[in-house]
Amino acid sequence: MSSHMLSLDSFNQIRSEILETWPTGRGLSLEDGIAYQKKIPEAKNFAVAMRKASEAGITLLQPRAGVALIQDHIKLLQYLETEGGADLLPTTIDAYTRQNRYQEAAVGIEKSLQARTSLLNGFPAVNHGLIGCRQVTEAVRSPIQVRHGTPDARLLAEITLAGGFTSYEGGGISYNIPYTKKVPLKKSIEDWKYVDRLVGIYEENGIHINREPFGPLTGTLVPPFVSHVVAIVEGILALRQGVKSLTLGYGQGGNMFQDIAALISLKSLAHEFFKREGFSDYELTTVFHQWMGGFPEDEAKAFSVISWGASVAVLAGADKVIVKSPHEAMGIPTKEANAQGLRCTRQAVNMLCDHRFPISGDHQKEVAMIEREVKSIMEAIYRLGNGDVETGVIAAFEAGVMDVPFAPSIYNHGKILPMRDNEGYIRVFNKGNLGLDDDIMAYHRGKLEERAKAENRAVCFQMVTDDIYAISKGRLVGRPR
Amino acid sequence: MTPVNIVLGVIGFDCHSVGNKILEAFFTEAGFKVTNLGVMVSQEEFISAAIETDARAILVSSLYGHGEIDCAGLREKCIEKGLEEILLYVGGNLVVGKTAFAEVEEKFLKMGYDRVFGPDCSLEKVVELLNEDLDSRPKGND
Repeated sequence: MSSHMLSLDSFNQIRSEILETWPTGRGLSLEDGIAYQKKIPEAKNFAVAMRKASEAGITLLQPRAGVALIQDHIKLLQYLETEGGADLLPTTIDAYTRQNRYQEAAVGIEKSLQARTSLLNGFPAVNHGLIGCRQVTEAVRSPIQVRHGTPDARLLAEITLAGGFTSYEGGGISYNIPYTKKVPLKKSIEDWKYVDRLVGIYEENGIHINREPFGPLTGTLVPPFVSHVVAIVEGILALRQGVKSLTLGYGQGGNMFQDIAALISLKSLAHEFFKREGFSDYELTTVFHQWMGGFPEDEAKAFSVISWGASVAVLAGADKVIVKSPHEAMGIPTKEANAQGLRCTRQAVNMLCDHRFPISGDHQKEVAMIEREVKSIMEAIYRLGNGDVETGVIAAFEAGVMDVPFAPSIYNHGKILPMRDNEGYIRVFNKGNLGLDDDIMAYHRGKLEERAKAENRAVCFQMVTDDIYAISKGRLVGRPR
Repeated sequence: MTPVNIVLGVIGFDCHSVGNKILEAFFTEAGFKVTNLGVMVSQEEFISAAIETDARAILVSSLYGHGEIDCAGLREKCIEKGLEEILLYVGGNLVVGKTAFAEVEEKFLKMGYDRVFGPDCSLEKVVELLNEDLDSRPKGND
């Protein structure tokens, strides 16, 4: 047993407390959850599906979806399975549940019943409880995952895993820094240890549960090394608690070569750091998120963004792609629009699945750059933590040595400013206190100067704003109008 | 001329932070004194900030779809606290699902908001309207 593993005593003590925080948690039995999971056929196990996809070299399709009421949610998922052809299903959790506001979620359910339509942006799984979750997971054929954005996801994990979900998204950093304002990082990391330990307990009882740290973070001009560092650290923290099936994620940046380099380096770097931490017994797969920033409102243009993301996912060799819909600019899609996004993605994936994309020359250089950037930050984290990655990452965020662009959390430094270079690669304009070596920064600066020269303006904050809205306005790089 | 105070924030349990940072930069550049409350702001926080800063407008954002639930009642609470003349603007992806803007606008105007904006509105236009509305409205406590 690893010295970092949450002890059974601590686990049980926390468990008895969190199950009391909402009536649906009361009396929840772990043994019953394990017994229930044992009856789920292998074809519906998410961890198995990810491993098989990786072995076969195919890219699985998964949408996002969730509505307030159980029957409507089931209809939505069945539609995405049959009409959309999804390989993997989600249950996206509503924003009140994500902040543990179950009372507000209850009001949302009530108002949705009155309005005969969902007024919540997801499925309030805690309110619906164990039985509600089992109704959902039993009504579909495909493996199904909980997707959310919850800093304290302990009760949600207890209910949904016992409810038959076989994958759980999130992590102590990726579901704090981009998803809330005032939760200390130390607290969310501690709370996610519990979730990972719960998954570890299921694993020790022969149940595979897939875990997926949230890759894209704020989804806005996030340089690959920033999201890689979070993915690797959360991977280590999960492995320490006994997680065995890990899917690390990355959100499409927009420049194909940088995106492919990012996915290649993500996997090799993760293996390297997991080995350094003494882990070898795990299954590592990858997920590529189609463009997470602002979308064009015109659905025809949105399909182009979706198709491009689908193409890059396959060329980069992702095991899974998370699919957007043509309604993205307007918020939550109808089931029809969601299925259209899936079918659009399927066409591109099928057309490209036999291609090989040899990465070489200049593009190989980007892989090396990302590796250097990640190692530069990771070494700073180890230094600050006196060799321990958990202590180190908390200290690194506090000092701004690790920094996520545009994040809402007050525990994030928020000084890093990214922007695109002349070819659309995401580079760092202002590094704040980021633990990047000087020669790496000089390389970024040089690339940005190339763009400034081409646009006949100085490197400036306006470029950042232009880049943020560029894709929704029809381009990748925010050139002056 | 002293700058006009305005209060800005993302309402409810919404944590969409990118646009909020852009709005802060834009309205500051346009000459307003911006009190930006950031993300996850309650109605009560909007109102206290408006009282504390003697603000003439509250600009509410909502991107995650719960706007209908989160935004209801803000006008009534403002009146209760003596902010009868304050301008209330709301913008973003205000409801769950793609809905005709006219329908969304009507819903939020009925709730007592003075102006309603979609996700693609031009910020230059918002500033123009805000200046017009401020000119035609008494200054509250002055």
